[in-house]
This record gives sequence, structure tokens and C-alpha cells, in this order.
Amino acid sequence: MRFEIEVALNASVYEYVIAFEFPEGFKELRVLEEKFAVNGKPVYTREHAQVRLVQREGARSLEDLAKSPSFRIDWHMVALPIVQEQSRADPLFLFKQWLAGMLILRPIPRLILGDSNQETLQPNPLVTDFGAWFSGLLAYAPAAYSKIDAYLKQLMPDLKDIKNPAIGKDSRSLVVQFSVDHGSPRTVESLSVPFEDLSDGEKCFMICALVVAANDAYGPLVCFWDEPDNYLALAEVGHFVLAVRKAFQPGGQFIATSHNPEAIRRFSDENTLLLYRKSHLEPTTARKLEELQVKGDLVGALIRGDLEP
Amino acid sequence: MINKYRPHVLVLPEDDANRQLANGFLLDLDYSALSRIQVLPEVGGWMAVLDTFLTDHVAEMDRFPERNLVLLIDFDGEEGRLNYAQSRIPGRLRDRVFILGAWTDPEALKRAGLGSSESIGRAIAKGCRDETDTTWEHDLLRHNTNEINRLRRHVRPILFQHF
Repeated sequence: MRFEIEVALNASVYEYVIAFEFPEGFKELRVLEEKFAVNGKPVYTREHAQVRLVQREGARSLEDLAKSPSFRIDWHMVALPIVQEQSRADPLFLFKQWLAGMLILRPIPRLILGDSNQETLQPNPLVTDFGAWFSGLLAYAPAAYSKIDAYLKQLMPDLKDIKNPAIGKDSRSLVVQFSVDHGSPRTVESLSVPFEDLSDGEKCFMICALVVAANDAYGPLVCFWDEPDNYLALAEVGHFVLAVRKAFQPGGQFIATSHNPEAIRRFSDENTLLLYRKSHLEPTTARKLEELQVKGDLVGALIRGDLEP
Repeated sequence: MINKYRPHVLVLPEDDANRQLANGFLLDLDYSALSRIQVLPEVGGWMAVLDTFLTDHVAEMDRFPERNLVLLIDFDGEEGRLNYAQSRIPGRLRDRVFILGAWTDPEALKRAGLGSSESIGRAIAKGCRDETDTTWEHDLLRHNTNEINRLRRHVRPILFQHF
């Protein structure tokens, strides 16, 4: 099993590779090889337990070399988080920061309550810390609220605002306010809804609003969202997907998995991958849709199970 | 979700290739305009577009007078296709129905070097927004001129003006 990731950051190309093997008699995977390189030059390489730090630019003396020895680690452990970066300008630091900033989302809306007692810019995959993310994003970039507001008002025209009042010494709880102006005679009806009482789909809109605002505020980000169309009405799926795709056009990358025909239709051959696994004992393969040369209706072919990479 | 009581546009594509053109078009719109346009599932063939229009959309267009419909079809090099298709649109709806498409098929646009389907769609949207004809003047798209002029009058304000 082999993972490779290549990313361009600040005009440098960062490459990270890790491969695992499952030798006979072993009870778990072990690392076969691992490598981190910048612009093609390795920063460290690894074979099984042996990690070798490669001399970096500027490290010329014997003393420098002595600071960068090879060492052995448990071959079940990944070296990337263990290898110490030397400064905030160290490529390792920059790459780890970028990795940490990835948004990997598979939210379960009913678990998202909107309460928080801290701030974060890195929500957990289930987004149960939505309140902390909201607080962290606005503390980091207060102007992000206007982006969140603009996004949500397109979807929910009766949205008035989102408040995050303190409910204890260190705790806050999100409340969403809706209002309708009935015109003349001028009467405005308002309704405050605790975040936890929003519908599942509305909570997904809220998450999407934060994804869009976060990419703008502290991106470019890579956002991987597992089935973002879950919980949405059919009429909302296309708009939802296109809005996120648009938000990531200036920078960053949005990757979604989906079984939803309407979500699949809002992507095109050049940016769709087909994932396929013959059995649980074989790896999942990914092929670009444009390489498969699908004739006719894509969704129909998927329903029939005709597509195999 | 579109508000069917306010001016909006539905796009009915013939096939996957036309759907991808429409995706590109939508990706070039302002975010706010996305809630005024919806691309419908492809129906599989230009005749199916007309049949679907007649069975599914005529009654709904009568119900919702703010609805505009773009039929995205391939002309397959047939000069009479536009006239035939237009003849099947009920007279009372002709101002709100637009028939567009590649002279042969969208794949020909890609082969002609105009880029991917989404890139072509984006270029078309840019042309609509900026009122330039660069893409529409291509040999494979020039036959749409009259429909484009009608679109500019009726649909451009819906998608390219801020409400």
C-alpha cells in the first residue's frame, strides 16, 4: 500500500511518500519506505526502521552533519511527525502546517451542537467542534463573518444573523436568528433557533459556509469532504456543490466523494475520478473519468455498474 | 435552491457533454447568480429534449411565468433543426425558450482546440457577461447568433445583474 502526495507551496514542490507492507506472520502493517523531498531533493529517506536525514542546504560542516544522523525507529511508526523541524522556515514545518490545515470532513449533523469552550482552526472530521471552529475563525479573521453571512443568505434568505453568546465562564453556544419582514404595516417577525435545533441540511450549509470562509481567511486549503450531499434536498445539491467549487477556484482544492447523481453531475470528466474495488482484499483503484471514455449517460452507466477502471 | 417566483433559468441539456458545458458556464457566474439557474439532468438526444420539454415543462412554464428555459442540443450539422425545434415550442412560450448548441456536437468544440467542456462553458459565460462574441463567433457556434441576441435581452439581466 503506497501513498504519495505532492503539493506546490510558495513556489516549491513538496513531495511525501510512504509505503507499507504486510509481511507473512505479521499482525499489522509496517513501513516499507518513506521519503520527504522538496523540489526533488530529499530531506529524509527511510527504509524499514532506518531513517536517514539528508544534509540540507546551509548545513556544510561536520558538526552540522553530526546533528543530522541516521536513526532507527519502530517500523510500525511513521517518521514524519517524529522528525524534528529546525525552525518555522524549515520545509518540514511548512509541510506539516499545511497537512494540519487540511480539512477532512465527514460530518454527522445530529452530533453538532454548536457549543464551544475553546477555539480552533482545525475542526475534527465529524465537525462536532463546529462552535470552536466558528469562534476560532472569527477570532482569526473577523471579516470572515461577512463571507459566512453572504453565503448563507443566498440559501436561507430569512437568516438574520448568527450569535455566539457566552453561556458560562469559558463556554459559548451558537444561536441562529431568522426574521421575516411582512412589509406594510411594518412588522418584523423573528425567531431564534439554538444551533443544535437546525435541520441536518442547514447544519451542512453552516459547515459549507465555514469551509468557504476558511479557505478565504487562512487558505489555500485542501478540503476533502466525504459525501457532502448527504442530508441535502435534491434541489439544493447542485447549488451546494457548485458554490464550493467556485469558492476554491482562486486557490485551494476541494475533493468530494459522492454517490449522489446530482452531485456527480456538477463535476465534469476532467475533474472526476472513479474509485473502484473488486473485493475487500484488493486495493481501491482510482481512474480519471476522461480516461474511461464513457459513452452516453454517465449516471446511467454508474447505476448499471458498467464502469470499471 | 431557485426561487420559482422570481426570474430564473433552467437548462435542459441533451447529453453529458452539454451538461459539462453548462457546468463551466455556471462556474463563471457570480455566486449569487447560482440561485437563479438550475441545470436539469440530461435526457439523451435532441428529440428527447423536445419531448421532455413538451411533457414536463410546458405546463410548469405556464404556472411559473418567471421561468426561462434553455434547451441545449447538438445540431449534428442539420440546418433545419433549429426551425424544427422552434416549431414545437408553443407560441405563448417562445419568448422564454431558447435553443442553443454546437453545430455538430460539443466534442467537436474540444477537438477544435477550445479547451475542455468546462473551459468552453466558462468562456461562453464570460462572453455573455462582457457582451463579447469571441467564443460565439467560432464556426461551430456562429449559428446561435439570433438565439444569443434574444438571450442577451431576456436572460442576461437575470444572471449578470445584481439583484
